[in-house]
Amino acid sequence: MAASDAEPMPEVVTEAIVVIDLVESTLTSNLFGWYAVGRQSLRDLRTLIGEVGNIRGLRCVRSTGDGYLLTFYDPQSAEMAAIGAVEAVFELLSRIFVRNQEVSEARALNLRCAVHLGEVDVVPNDREGPHISMAFRLEEISRASLPTALNPIPPEQFPLQNYVLCSEEVAGILSRRATHWELASIGLLKLKGFPGWREVFRVLPEDTSDDLSTRGVL
Amino acid sequence: MEAPAPLRKSLALVCCDIVGSTRLIARVGDLVVATVLREFREQVGRLAKENHCLMIKFLGDGFLAAFENMNDVMPFIISIESLSLLSQNTTLIGQLEGFYFSLHYGNVLYIETSYGSDVLGEDVNVAAHLSEIAQPNEAVISQAALERMPADYQALAGAIEVRPFKRVGDVKFRRVKLFECHPNRMPAWFRRP
Repeated sequence: MAASDAEPMPEVVTEAIVVIDLVESTLTSNLFGWYAVGRQSLRDLRTLIGEVGNIRGLRCVRSTGDGYLLTFYDPQSAEMAAIGAVEAVFELLSRIFVRNQEVSEARALNLRCAVHLGEVDVVPNDREGPHISMAFRLEEISRASLPTALNPIPPEQFPLQNYVLCSEEVAGILSRRATHWELASIGLLKLKGFPGWREVFRVLPEDTSDDLSTRGVL
Repeated sequence: MEAPAPLRKSLALVCCDIVGSTRLIARVGDLVVATVLREFREQVGRLAKENHCLMIKFLGDGFLAAFENMNDVMPFIISIESLSLLSQNTTLIGQLEGFYFSLHYGNVLYIETSYGSDVLGEDVNVAAHLSEIAQPNEAVISQAALERMPADYQALAGAIEVRPFKRVGDVKFRRVKLFECHPNRMPAWFRRP
């Protein structure tokens, strides 16, 4: 009997999936020490995630080593879970911006964030399934990805940190249900392990006059 | 030196993907596939030059190519198709199972970027998505492109199909089987002169 035969089939739910990666966290830990800086930075990030996520349907927080996999759930509407996830990510970036003004450069947090929506297998303290992989593929997109994209934005316009990318699924929901964000296509990309071309979007606050963009955060 | 200003151009856009590249990686390993892809890019680059290609951009296991003259396009596609057909078991490219092609004609922005020349516009997306519905060794050709092709090729196209595209609307297209017979029995039109 296979080991998995004894386990019950996992619950399948539609959740918003967020992958958050700490920019240059390994470098920072190597440079300034894991116990001196790295561990506290990751703990601070976890605390902030709890603060912004718990009121917006945060259901799973899983460490990925140098970041977190989060999922958001809304019992009324899967689409609202995506809205909650994007709200939480922007609130997180805003709080991190404030925090970064108050701490030393070594302790500053800078993030790459990706949001996707899809069915996932619920396993204890974790999530599984191809949509999880998709969210990680989105998070891996960088300037270096753009020369092999179709209709890409110029690579130099792609930010290095503190930005939010989303899948076509989430972009569709945001354009239907939310008015306070703008979507900018960064191009059609091939994501490893997934067939076909995927249009990937950057999410920006709509009002750029008094937001994180003008402060160099987004 | 400043890059030249972007130009609006009506171009034929060819998208090509390798059939079963993931299977090939699983079968022979990524190191071999990297070598196959290098050879593929060299050969395609040569054929693009021979067929007066304006711009070619390699995209992982495929490419996007743009042509100003529609008459150059089918010979280019056929010469690439022949790479895997005619070199089976004799070169690394012979390990490829075949190609998916699409061809679309549209108005795009031709620009010089930090990574080379590129074409931008919704018609590029249409060409890319048409390649997703191609069968192996088949070219999916939009009606806009087909109408500009030589009559010989138009006669080979299958029935009209329609597919909606985001921000573009319905796009009519037809399929052309690039070969249905053994390479030795390919019709004369299929062979490069």
